[in-house]
Amino acid sequence: MEIPKILSGEMMDKILAKKDFPEWLKKLEAYRVYAPRKQDDVWNYEPVSGPGNVQLADVMTAVPAKKIVFPQREYFFEFRETDDNGTKLTELLPEDNPVVVFGVRPCEGKAVTLTDKVFSGEFEDPYYWKRRNATTLVGLACGTPPSPNCFCTSVNGSPHSKEGLDLLLTDLGETFYAEALTKKGEKLILEGQKLFKDPKPEDKKKAEKIQVEAEKKIRRKLNRIENVPLKLKGMFDSPFWDDESMSCIRCGICTYLCPTCHCFDMNDEVETTTPLQGKRVRTWDTCQFPDFTMHSSGHNPRPEKSSRLRQRINHKFQYFVEIWQNYQCTGCGRCISLCPVGIDIIKVVEKVRDYGS
Amino acid sequence: MGHNVYLPKLARIIEIKEEVSGARPIKTFRTNFLDGDGFLYRCGQCAMLSVFGRGEVMISISSSPLVKDYLQFSVLKMGRVTSALHDMEVGDVLGIRGPYGNSFPLDEWKGKNIIFAGGGIGLAPLWGLVHMTLGNKKDYGDLTLIYGSRTSKDIVFKEELEELKKRMPVHLSIDVPEPGWSEFVGFVAQNVMDKKLSPHNAIAITCGPPIMIKTVIKALKDLKFEDEQIYTTVENKMKCGIGKCGRCNIGRHYVCKDGPVYSWAELKKLPQEY
Amino acid sequence: MVNIEDLKSEARRVLKGGKVKYIIGYERASETWKANPVFLKNPEDADKLVWDPTCFHNLVRFVVDEKRRKAKEKQPDTRPVGIVAKGCDSRAIIVLLQEKFIERMDVYIIGVSCESTGVIDERKLAKKTAGKTVQKVEFGEKQNYIVTTEDGTMDIPAAEIMADRCLECIANIPVVSDHLLGDKTKRAVARPFQSVEKLESLSQEDKWKFWTDQMKKCIRCYACRSACPMCYCDECVVDTINFAVTADTTAEEKAQRIKWLEKSPIDSENIFYHLVRAIHLAGRCIDCGECERACPVNIPLRMLNKKMEKEAKELFGYDVGFDADQPALISCFRDGDPEDFIR
Repeated sequence: MEIPKILSGEMMDKILAKKDFPEWLKKLEAYRVYAPRKQDDVWNYEPVSGPGNVQLADVMTAVPAKKIVFPQREYFFEFRETDDNGTKLTELLPEDNPVVVFGVRPCEGKAVTLTDKVFSGEFEDPYYWKRRNATTLVGLACGTPPSPNCFCTSVNGSPHSKEGLDLLLTDLGETFYAEALTKKGEKLILEGQKLFKDPKPEDKKKAEKIQVEAEKKIRRKLNRIENVPLKLKGMFDSPFWDDESMSCIRCGICTYLCPTCHCFDMNDEVETTTPLQGKRVRTWDTCQFPDFTMHSSGHNPRPEKSSRLRQRINHKFQYFVEIWQNYQCTGCGRCISLCPVGIDIIKVVEKVRDYGS
Repeated sequence: MGHNVYLPKLARIIEIKEEVSGARPIKTFRTNFLDGDGFLYRCGQCAMLSVFGRGEVMISISSSPLVKDYLQFSVLKMGRVTSALHDMEVGDVLGIRGPYGNSFPLDEWKGKNIIFAGGGIGLAPLWGLVHMTLGNKKDYGDLTLIYGSRTSKDIVFKEELEELKKRMPVHLSIDVPEPGWSEFVGFVAQNVMDKKLSPHNAIAITCGPPIMIKTVIKALKDLKFEDEQIYTTVENKMKCGIGKCGRCNIGRHYVCKDGPVYSWAELKKLPQEY
Repeated sequence: MVNIEDLKSEARRVLKGGKVKYIIGYERASETWKANPVFLKNPEDADKLVWDPTCFHNLVRFVVDEKRRKAKEKQPDTRPVGIVAKGCDSRAIIVLLQEKFIERMDVYIIGVSCESTGVIDERKLAKKTAGKTVQKVEFGEKQNYIVTTEDGTMDIPAAEIMADRCLECIANIPVVSDHLLGDKTKRAVARPFQSVEKLESLSQEDKWKFWTDQMKKCIRCYACRSACPMCYCDECVVDTINFAVTADTTAEEKAQRIKWLEKSPIDSENIFYHLVRAIHLAGRCIDCGECERACPVNIPLRMLNKKMEKEAKELFGYDVGFDADQPALISCFRDGDPEDFIR
């Protein structure tokens, strides 16, 4: 399912004074508003309690924006045993309440385009799309890299990428340069009515300059990886994976906090047993847990850490490329910053690239 | 948008047959949809069976598409959901999602001799195929069934196999000798070699435990079958059944969607992680 | 000060002699200012070793991995595994010995004393350096750390950025070792268990609110469990599957396995998980702090375990991780037990 884009030529660029931002938020009462908020030294997208409480800055949340359209837990349906030895199923689709998320990093926007591909197709996921269609993603172009481990420019991304976003804000100091990218983004600007002014030519130049400068500030690079998918194909049985995964403690951090990861579990949660009543629930899952692929018989296709690290790298840099012609990584660096033992995906892929030479 | 892909259709169990009892019981369930809607499927496809409150499990449809009165599943009791399934009775309601996966390429097999090599519960995914080809016998060459189980008590579809012997060659085997057993003793792969199956104009399909599949494929290769002539069905842990949750991912494939039917030529190109 | 060359030469010596399979130690990879675990197989690898205030990881976690690896091999290499162990880490080894999970000859312990200062707390350091990029952290000579950023070096008094657990450390010198490096002066602790005092002083309602608010953040990544050397059970309350199943495990057994908690990260399940883990660690947790350090959403997990450690000490006079011969706390009783139902 495609998000309707604004046709070229109709792009709406506006300027919003930062002091007018709370006024704009006041006009968005019909939306549930999310923005990054800091609690106990950790940033996360949380519902905004009041219009004065949103401060947009170059921060990297722990849990990425994917949680808004693909929450860690959601209901599929309710099942209930009926009197006549039957069962009644009640579909529990998400409500249509519009949601807007501020402060989305461009790498998270790009990641959402990748999860869009997965949840489309022959078996379109109604839960994902209901949320996706109701959500307006307002990106904030990175003036400085939010993380020392950012490498978006190495995986076909940029600090001002517009992919997946409905609206992109660039911080010009006293004002935001606002670019509407889809009908949803345009609608959000229109809610703000007179607060948004037409930009002057120097505004656009300033925004472009900031955007280009931001690219140069990215410290980490993952270069020359065009051959990595093919290289990975030949390294399936290599002892390389044993060495690289020795320090892995097989927690779920790298995958749960990855904006592009989408593996999930489905379970029946029983509320009462007589009569039987409960819900089928979807929750995030990770290929890094040892029981992810384990059969009931005890047979496990990926019993070792080495096979699971290999799976993560292969899926992101080979299999996803083969299916969707995109790396399944947008260079946000969360897995590097938050891995308790410092396993560094950039280093691992570089070693793959250089393996044997 | 249409039908919600995660919402099962409700079906009632109309018949349960105990195929194998003991520590590894197998039961065959015949089901009818409550709303009577058609459920079009092809040979080799599977469906997700829901035992509400316990979970779902992906089971091959073991009735052939020629049968319209019911949808049949043969289930080996292995873990939580299959145990709950085995505790169900005639009249109970379960959920069915599907059909999922690809199917046996029957059109490509027209005119060829077909060899079915099954082990244990592996006969169930083949069963629909056996009857489909038998039902259209003039479209195919010689049909042969080779089937092995641990002991004579573990044989699935026992009475039907005896009937089947009247219509096509059926070679049975058990792992270790038993008094009163006159047929082959040994593993399925050994039986395959023993019967000196000819690869000429033939297709061989094998289903069963992973180790059996590996040995049978090797035996068929020793008998000079080409990679394209050997087919199998791959089993993997599944949850969504529609190629999204990632659990059954092998290489660029999701077994629930791109499989479970693979020729050995295709399967050997995938990472050997199943 | 611990002489890094002494550490390297001991590692080199032990590897050269083939005495160990490999040594688990700390290295600093490029692109990062923090130490990371490293596995040294050859004598020349010993040059990778570092010892600095960023060596916060509890490497005993990898001794557990080694045991699992060995259990799968048909003809295992029975040589010990070498490990660079701090005081707290050595207590973890004692607990594993106490529980007979490993034997003394399974590990060759190169003990390193933390001397007068422990390891740093990343968050405290980040607050202190306020936006600057840290390049290096080193031990100073006068109860301080020397932090190098792009602006030069900063001299920071240790107490300001030292990890909370180090502020109440009761084992700055490894309690068991095969080779010991560093000053052997025991560091005095003004007030053990000081970190739980603030929470203890809250009212029942406030305590409950504190913890339920914290548990809302939990994403059940299980990094806390994964980082803990003592969480080695093959059959864990949280897993959907019992890892000890074999081909002979009957379907009945598998079907009857109780689903103790749902996978959903909701309040009830999160609280249940953390409380059960804390109880299962009573008398076993040696406060290496890895659970809290690994947590990506900064839940103060070691508070739960520290409270259990305090109860063990106050109610039963039980010291965790010093005596490999003492029985496990929750599987023994004494005649003088305070509860009379046991007598």
